[in-house]
Amino acid sequence: MIRFILNGKEVVSKASENTRLLDVLRQEFEITGVKCGCKEGECGACSVILDGELVNSCMVAVGSIQGSTVMTIEGYRGTERFAVLDKSYAQVSAVQCGFCTPGMVLASECILEKNPDPSEEEIRAGISGNLCRCTGYNAIVEAIGIAAKEGKGLW
Amino acid sequence: MVNGYAVHTLQEALEVRNGKKVTPYAGGTDLMIQAKEDAVYLFLNKIEELKRITEDDECIRLGAACTFTQILEDKSVPEILRTAVSQIGAPAIRNMGTIGGNICNASPKADSALIFFVADAKLRLISKSGERILPIADFYLGRGKTTLQEDELLAEVLMPKKGVGNFYYQKVGARNALAISRVSFVGILSVEKDTIIHCATAFGAIESTIVRKPEIDQMLIGKTIAEAREDKEAYLRTYEAAIQPIQGRVSTEYRKQVCMNLLQDFLVQNGIS
Repeated sequence: MIRFILNGKEVVSKASENTRLLDVLRQEFEITGVKCGCKEGECGACSVILDGELVNSCMVAVGSIQGSTVMTIEGYRGTERFAVLDKSYAQVSAVQCGFCTPGMVLASECILEKNPDPSEEEIRAGISGNLCRCTGYNAIVEAIGIAAKEGKGLW
Repeated sequence: MVNGYAVHTLQEALEVRNGKKVTPYAGGTDLMIQAKEDAVYLFLNKIEELKRITEDDECIRLGAACTFTQILEDKSVPEILRTAVSQIGAPAIRNMGTIGGNICNASPKADSALIFFVADAKLRLISKSGERILPIADFYLGRGKTTLQEDELLAEVLMPKKGVGNFYYQKVGARNALAISRVSFVGILSVEKDTIIHCATAFGAIESTIVRKPEIDQMLIGKTIAEAREDKEAYLRTYEAAIQPIQGRVSTEYRKQVCMNLLQDFLVQNGIS
């Protein structure tokens, strides 16, 4: 039995300790905003925020997060910060198929949390582990830049 | 069946390690790629004692469960290590991946281990019955093979602080982020009153373990820069004969050429042209 905080609520997982957090989230808790892309930490589609830091949930064994806090896009979407990113992503069409978007938005949050006024280079480094095959990244980089300006004071 | 033990102290971890067959799990970023259904992990990620960064007169002491992000953000960590670590994976991997995992996974491509080799760092291994400290080069038996005993854990890396200030580091990969090294190289050189007092080099990703040849680097130590220029060709030829890159995704010939180019550039950048 592994207890942790998932999107603000305490949950108990019955999964085996060596199960990927990704599989626990999708299958046991039906949190499907977390996407499975590669299962080797290359694509970032399964990104979640674990104890305040961006991680690939495919590379986390659930037994290692006893007592930790996990935030997925489902939990993040209720925040003011999300509303700013939601708007800026839409404004510059930074979403196409949407598969990378939950991970990309959480990566955006982690960039701005550490650095509320990032340079273009810092934004690109911050999303360097999140692959997008549709947009070519420029729109996403722009969206994060806009969010930094529009959301001043939130981060 | 229990497939994992979550512990909070080193003592508890050593107890488990002593009595059970477990795979030490620090960040999980290597282990979970090839996750086995019957794997039994000993989770080390919440042990504070393994996440400390401290210093003594000679060494910076890095807990084995320090993440790459932690290393990057700690200004007391020598720049040579932060430079190499900044090019590992991507933020999400650096947030979880640890130096202990990088070392114990025993890949010749381990980017942080390369730096520990060139700095002649030592590893502190502990078990319920005691501890031993050994040079990192002595820890490796081959690709994926180390001398870590079944009841032992890597506790700390002791990295000498002196002599690593003037460094040359290059990671050659196929892309900027999330790249696995095809060839990596690091060289350090200290000059005092025009005399080379220390020179050390190491190559990653070319043989089954990281390559460090102190006997060859010795050819330059004690020489003035002018003398080193004279000896440069002999040094390069000796090195060329001593390394045997393995065939992988890239050819042996390519690897060797890149090695020699990097070694040459390291010397040129230090005025040995």
